[in-house]
Amino acid sequence: MAASERLARLRSAVVGGDDEPGLSLAVLAGAVAAFVSLPLVALLVRASNYGFGHLAGLLSETGSLDVLLNSLSLVVLVTLGCVLVGVPLAVLTVQTDLPGRRVWTVVAALPLVVPSYIGAFTFVSAFGPRGDLADALAVVGIERIPTIYGLQGTALVLVLFTYPYVFLTTRAALLSFDGTLVEAARTLNHSRWAAFKRVTVPQILPGVAAGGLLAALYALSDFGTPSIMRYEVFTQQIYVAQRSLGVPEGYPALLSMQLLVVVTVVLALESRIGAGDTSYVSRGSRQPGRIELGVWKWPALAFCGGVAVLSLGVPLGVLAWWFQRAGSAVFEFDPTVAWNSLKVSVAAAGAATVLALPVAGYAARSSSRFSEVTDRLTYVGYAVPGVVIALALLYLSTEFAQSLYKTVPLLVFAYVVRFLPQAVGSVRSSVLQVDPKLTEAARTLGRSSTGAFREVTLPLIAPGVAAGAALVFLTTMKELPATLMLSPLGFETLVSYIWLVRGAGSYGAAAVPALVLVGVSALSMVVILAQERYNG
Amino acid sequence: MSERSGPSRRRFLAAAGAATTTGLAGCSGILGTGSESGGGTPGIGDFRGSGAIVEDRPAPGGTSIEDLPDLEGELAIYLGGGEGGRYTTLIDLLDRYYDGFEVSQQTQPSSQLANIIVDEYDSGTTQADLFWSVDAGSLAYVSDKGATVGLSSDATSMVADDRFATDQWVGVAGRSRAVPYNTNQFDASDIPTSIDALATRDRFQGSLGWAPTYGAFHGFVTAMRQLRGEDGTREWLNAMLDQNPARYDSEYATVKQGITNGEVGAGPTNHYYPMLVFAQRPDVPLDLAFTENDAGALVNTAGASVLDGASDPELADLFVRHLLSAEAQEFLATRGFAFPMIDGVEPVGPLPTIEELSPPDLDLQSLSDVQPTIELLKDVGILS
Repeated sequence: MAASERLARLRSAVVGGDDEPGLSLAVLAGAVAAFVSLPLVALLVRASNYGFGHLAGLLSETGSLDVLLNSLSLVVLVTLGCVLVGVPLAVLTVQTDLPGRRVWTVVAALPLVVPSYIGAFTFVSAFGPRGDLADALAVVGIERIPTIYGLQGTALVLVLFTYPYVFLTTRAALLSFDGTLVEAARTLNHSRWAAFKRVTVPQILPGVAAGGLLAALYALSDFGTPSIMRYEVFTQQIYVAQRSLGVPEGYPALLSMQLLVVVTVVLALESRIGAGDTSYVSRGSRQPGRIELGVWKWPALAFCGGVAVLSLGVPLGVLAWWFQRAGSAVFEFDPTVAWNSLKVSVAAAGAATVLALPVAGYAARSSSRFSEVTDRLTYVGYAVPGVVIALALLYLSTEFAQSLYKTVPLLVFAYVVRFLPQAVGSVRSSVLQVDPKLTEAARTLGRSSTGAFREVTLPLIAPGVAAGAALVFLTTMKELPATLMLSPLGFETLVSYIWLVRGAGSYGAAAVPALVLVGVSALSMVVILAQERYNG
Repeated sequence: MSERSGPSRRRFLAAAGAATTTGLAGCSGILGTGSESGGGTPGIGDFRGSGAIVEDRPAPGGTSIEDLPDLEGELAIYLGGGEGGRYTTLIDLLDRYYDGFEVSQQTQPSSQLANIIVDEYDSGTTQADLFWSVDAGSLAYVSDKGATVGLSSDATSMVADDRFATDQWVGVAGRSRAVPYNTNQFDASDIPTSIDALATRDRFQGSLGWAPTYGAFHGFVTAMRQLRGEDGTREWLNAMLDQNPARYDSEYATVKQGITNGEVGAGPTNHYYPMLVFAQRPDVPLDLAFTENDAGALVNTAGASVLDGASDPELADLFVRHLLSAEAQEFLATRGFAFPMIDGVEPVGPLPTIEELSPPDLDLQSLSDVQPTIELLKDVGILS
């Protein structure tokens, strides 16, 4: 593992120094880890309070097995779909002479800027029964298009807005591997295809798996899309269960536990496929020669164009159409709503960054088992869906901290738990990139390890820290389920406003905030891409 | 009921015809201050809706806001449902009416809020002063769990019909299931007073429309389940399927696209969907009838209650009285076509008064039990 080698080198660089900062750092990191895993512990406690027998009874009574099946079908379909769309796009834009490759690279990554729930309701608006597009098709004689609701619609929308994960990771893997390997295979009399199969595929597989994992986790945790598309999966059911009077006690907790089991299985599967091999981040110096597409250029262009039309053209077109049609209603939008979004996002970004520093610093400095545990624990939020975190925090606050119930601090805490991994990942990777020799030099010049950190490491990692904060800020802006479940009374954000007017069917009023959110997501893309460059 | 709505509708059409010649600018210039952009106190013209359908209404009777004590202080409202922002508009009007009165609110589906309110009551974390819900079932659920405090008799006595006033919650705006129909295809006498006849009469074969994915329809089927049980409901649904009804995505679409355009002749919907179509196009061949004593005549009401743990229960109670004021009731009747709850404000256009309806005897709280309804609809093959 390249990362652990670097960790070891870093560690050897500070060996012989005083252990005090290490210890206090360990305590800090441990405290942060305990803090953010609190909701998960609360949920486990709550579930265990109901008792195994009760939950097992519910399992058979409530049809939650159907929900499990639905969720699994969705994850499998979305992951496959993302691979089928993302990998060809990556290969086309990296390894072929596709006309306009640079433009297609940007276009293929851009659907990430459309929050999937906004994508979902623009799709319902366009393709739903009596939707704008269905009406247009009826004019030309197409009466029945397949229903957009249910598994097919949910999977379609999720694939269209999450395939860029696979595209980006595959692209990174393709860019980083050593092109001379392919040339070597070619000189050994392999055809291009055989070389691709025997050299390229094994090299990019971890990248594909990493992207697939992101897509799978997204599909499992996404709440907005299945809710809009009326498909009964865990997240949607957990939310709906709160809404029906007389739901059996413990049912939401049961669903949450099942969902967590599925998430764990997905994570385990990925770690087997990826086999801990992070070679896709190591870089070769040479690119292989480009594959000439010839006449295949046309179907390739049609493929790229088709994906772009569906994943960018439809949502942006529908939003523009609402905007234009809404007329003056567009301006009834209350700016305090945007201001509220801004406030919680800044708070979440600040808190997540402050908490990420000790965890990431400790993980980068120490290769102890404990540092690994604290590091992993902060990743809880990454795997635990927002609905589950919100449910856990509702329980936690009504039982143990009533003064925090439905307050802004609790909402911000939910965001921090959910998005801390982004900050930690960003900070840690930039810490790892600091040449240990620099720290060593500072130490030999008489700096303490904290001093060296402050004067050498911190300025060097500042861009990574800023990028992590920006990511947390932007993802908080568009977070849906925790926002809906934990917002204080009278506290409306862009997201809760969109959800509200969508429910009321007044799409026009959603145009401006939805466009703002797309803009916000676009900015987060810029940060991710800039960081990719920075890390390279 | 249908016998009665025919002539009244003709009266209404005549009035509408006269009104269109005088323009559709609304009545804010005559009756109220029309202070949409200005900062003045809202008048009746601001509360009343506009358009031909409400043009020649008399000034509303009942208790005017002017005769009620001033609202003063901060009020937190859990708003269940919200009718596409209409209730928020009413809250804004009342907010504007008084200088020292501030409202904060949170809108979510009413049954979800009912659960939240009960959870909050149990854990001592009550957030809101007032629960304003689109359905009586959620209100009843919350008060049954003890999460409300009683209303003053000043508030409850304003409601004309005892069915919609308990000491824990009052109705503020009624609605009913109805059978809108196309007057080119059916006469008033063709529309039965029993929902069963819709499903069994050959007359309706191939000429019915419905919106089985729609929440209001699920409420109606849930009512039927409570009234005649699972098997009886299944029988009705199967009989309806044999009539080969056209499916629409919403009940509004059922009325607007289906019945008004003559794609179908009739169908069960909430009463205000045909009213919305009337309001936009008074000349359409559309009328509505009501069945009697079955799920097809289900009457529900939006209402309000004061929550236990409210920081200012007196203010919340006074707000409920404002919702029952002449101006607010006129607002709900003319903008949402609801059945008003007080004497002195009449329902709009061709609608009968709520006392003239014959709803089934049903505990409205049982309407929240929707999940078995969904299962049943799937089982019968209506939902996938």
